[in-house]
Amino acid sequence: MKRSGLVLSVMVVGVALLLWAGWHNLRERKLAMRQAQENHVVLVPEKSGAATSGSAMQPDPQSPEAEATQMRGKVAPAFTLVTLDGKKVSLSDFKGRPVLVNFWATWCGPCKVEMPWFEEFQKQYASQGLEILGLADDVDAGKDAIAKVAQKTGVTYPILLTDGKVQKAYGGPDGMDYLPMSFYVDKNGVVVEETAGLGSKDEIEAHIKKVIASGAAPSAGGQ
Amino acid sequence: MRLRLGVAGLLAFAAVGYAQQVGNLDAPPAKPKSYVVYAAEQQSVSAGKRSVLELHFRVVDGFHVNSHTPKSELLIPTRIELQPAAGVKADAIEYPAGTSYSFSFDPTEKLDVYSGDFTVKLPVVAEAGTHTVDGTLRYQACDHAACYPPKSLPLQVIFTAK
Repeated sequence: MKRSGLVLSVMVVGVALLLWAGWHNLRERKLAMRQAQENHVVLVPEKSGAATSGSAMQPDPQSPEAEATQMRGKVAPAFTLVTLDGKKVSLSDFKGRPVLVNFWATWCGPCKVEMPWFEEFQKQYASQGLEILGLADDVDAGKDAIAKVAQKTGVTYPILLTDGKVQKAYGGPDGMDYLPMSFYVDKNGVVVEETAGLGSKDEIEAHIKKVIASGAAPSAGGQ
Repeated sequence: MRLRLGVAGLLAFAAVGYAQQVGNLDAPPAKPKSYVVYAAEQQSVSAGKRSVLELHFRVVDGFHVNSHTPKSELLIPTRIELQPAAGVKADAIEYPAGTSYSFSFDPTEKLDVYSGDFTVKLPVVAEAGTHTVDGTLRYQACDHAACYPPKSLPLQVIFTAK
């Protein structure tokens, strides 16, 4: 009689423990889901002809997509350049903020398509600290031609005149092989995404969301 | 013994293949050196008479270059610069008309481009003999989603005046 009471007590305690463990696991899972949703990044599937976005696809080595894997995970090279108004701007001025570094040129049609989108996103994500810098990779075009294009595309973010060194720092010994090229630099100064060529507006926004969400410690091997 | 040697050889071959594969992964991607190809050919003209030389070019598949008369002052036109050559008097270069092209992402903007084969004509009056005219084709190429910095393609026009 005493033994059966003891067995019954043990069974009740066991069932209670199982119920508590189940409730605890459910609570932990809900908490993890909420945290994942807060860091949610929309991943847009690759389309042929669109800019690359760090997928596992093997790009054609003859295409701009193949180029866009050089800087990812590395510390963005520092630069100090001059704006169209003659003001000095350094990448380090935006430390602790996500920055989109976009190389473009007056003779580049695809560049001029995405610039108004950047302007839109600059306004949309300003509250989250996003800064966009447009680096004019024009050897022959004068300041007036660059200003004219910037005005025509309606951009108000800083347009910087390049010095030849910055193209080599980001594009290699020969400078930029393709335009447009964009580097998404996170709060820690790490390039989290790099694209060559024109992508869709949705892809650009996904990269912006990714760079805003990113804040991991810089990996070794950076520049 | 032969079997051991064969196995060792196979292992070495596999190791070299693997090392090469790893090397390939780390190697930078191959980049096209030029987006336009010049098809040089020996030509003959009448000495002392105005004759037309033809310079044949081909734009690499998948790319286009601005024509000599692009529709915007900001675009870089295709043009040829020739060095003076002894015994050869060259007239103004005659460029072909471009074809209309629009990027799929911006159908409203019409461009004037060369794609595939195009021929540039060079009117000359040359003294009798074999001549070589050196020059450069200056162009700026794009594909469907990216543009490439302006490039210079060296060229030689070799012809005989009889």
